[in-house]
Amino acid sequence: MSIDSVLSKDLTSVRRSGALWGVAVCLTMLATMVAYVNIGRGAPPLREAQDAYGLLAGLVGVLVPIVAIVASYMSITGERASGGIKFLLAFPNTRRDVFAGKLLSRLAVVGVIVLFMFVAATAITVAKYGVLPVGVAVGVFAVSLVYAWAFVALSVAFSSATASRSQAIAAAVGSYFLLVILNLTFRFSQVVRLVYDTILGLGENPHLYAAADYVSPYIAYQKAANLVYPAAMERQVFRLPEEARETLPVYLTDEFSLVVFAAWLVVPLALGYLRFQRSDLQ
Amino acid sequence: MHDARYGWSSVHRCPSRHSDGERPRPARPGGGLTVPTIETRGLTKSFGDVDAVLDLDLTIEAGEVFGFLGPNGAGKSTTINLLLDYIRPTSGSVEVFGMDAQRHPAKIRERVGVLPEGYGFDDPLTGREYLDWAIGTKDADDDPAALLDLVSLTDDAGRMAADYSKGMQQRLAFAMALVDDPDLLILDEPSTGLDPNGVRTMRENVADVAADGTTVFFSSHHLAEVEAVCDRVGVMNEGELVAVDSIDGLRDTVGGHAAIELECATPPTELGVEALDGVVDVAVEDHTLTVTCVDPGRKIDVVTHVAERADVVDILSTTVSLETLFNELTEGGREGGGETTAEVAQ
Repeated sequence: MSIDSVLSKDLTSVRRSGALWGVAVCLTMLATMVAYVNIGRGAPPLREAQDAYGLLAGLVGVLVPIVAIVASYMSITGERASGGIKFLLAFPNTRRDVFAGKLLSRLAVVGVIVLFMFVAATAITVAKYGVLPVGVAVGVFAVSLVYAWAFVALSVAFSSATASRSQAIAAAVGSYFLLVILNLTFRFSQVVRLVYDTILGLGENPHLYAAADYVSPYIAYQKAANLVYPAAMERQVFRLPEEARETLPVYLTDEFSLVVFAAWLVVPLALGYLRFQRSDLQ
Repeated sequence: MHDARYGWSSVHRCPSRHSDGERPRPARPGGGLTVPTIETRGLTKSFGDVDAVLDLDLTIEAGEVFGFLGPNGAGKSTTINLLLDYIRPTSGSVEVFGMDAQRHPAKIRERVGVLPEGYGFDDPLTGREYLDWAIGTKDADDDPAALLDLVSLTDDAGRMAADYSKGMQQRLAFAMALVDDPDLLILDEPSTGLDPNGVRTMRENVADVAADGTTVFFSSHHLAEVEAVCDRVGVMNEGELVAVDSIDGLRDTVGGHAAIELECATPPTELGVEALDGVVDVAVEDHTLTVTCVDPGRKIDVVTHVAERADVVDILSTTVSLETLFNELTEGGREGGGETTAEVAQ
């Protein structure tokens, strides 16, 4: 009932804000374009259609976190900074209702944007190749949704723990840089390697380096995509030497990405919620 | 004087008189021992090493109209924020309707109407939609049109509340506070941003609500605003409650206090007026000597004393207003207040 009160008000606000519609339209157009420019290499249409989803996953990996962060970073901080929370809590709502209502609202909004992207890309793919690779399409969509939600959860958590706009922006930019940009180029593993091997002189430990990379949801997303790709599309995500690949520990398997995502979905939210419960809201 | 303007106030002046059957609401469960609407015990809230509220003991009975006075930064809003669980006490307890403010915020909010301080209408919703949201959230059956009419927003109900003027936002917030006929109305500086007409309408609305038996907790830095509608007032200064009394009681406190101004030909310094019996305060400004006495009878001693030592040009006699007392209790009283007490004790 009370979560409903916060949720419905927030959804109405988000629906009326032009900015998010703009982002949704842009992303949908990008997804359409990616599906359209997917270049065949003379493979059968089904294989090419599957490849189109692989390409889309590449786009999702980099851009969807931005959308998720932008859609969520001010969710609670904004109410605190503007004084809107004074009304939310002047009525029979608890802090839990505010937290849960905001979270559900932003999960729904970002979910819808990801859905738009996949619907558009699927329409183009079907039109172009005449086949629908249902397994890959649904699989990549599901993994992308979880990936997007991990960033929503993280941003709502930060938002619940920060009182000012500037702090919220710092947290948003910082998390994107650290979790996505850093993993596109320079990886966590290189930092760990520097400390572990070069500085401490403990010798090479490729599995440990890979595990450090696995902390990033960006890496976890690629590993999770392997779960839904046909064998031919699977990728080696970690930069492991040959012999280290032979004896892959359980914490480096593709399946373990689900554990990584579960942690990203639960831990920040739990910490943010506890912080929010104890905060002075004024 | 306010009895003439507000007939209800004679009924609600003193909570103990409510047993005469004139109160429209039934007595609360528990027979004669009603639970105070608001009760704080040793309530303290510190921000860093600043005590915004210090050791506050305050009890507001059901049906009271309580004025919470003090200059800006005295701790009024902090106290209200603690009542509403916007912020958490450093120590001490807050109970509203006998329920702990931290443990039962939602249950308390079901029965409270709030006009908060520092709110914002930042959602892209119209005034009408905000009101509808308030009614829906309280699961109430109020008629939004009637509430909009009450605060004269009928014509602007379809506009975005964010685009309203400060005064209109204040009226909308007030209408939202009135939703579901609350048992307790908490108003934090309700006249902020209102024009004189708006202030009068607000005051009348508060009076109407109070006449229905709603407890009103009303913060303000204007004594005059509170004087007209409140049964009892509490004065805050620097986080501490420096006085709690009925308006009449405060008047009695001031009671005998009377001031006399003597304009002299030469600056009336060092006349030894302070040493006279019954003199509470002495101030000299240019050629004017202002003396405050514990009762008007002392004025003649002052005049005689001064006339013997200086050339008195003019005499102006006044009674001390509540405003003076208020000033004395708050900013003006920080230095003078302490000395005054000491001198009276002598």
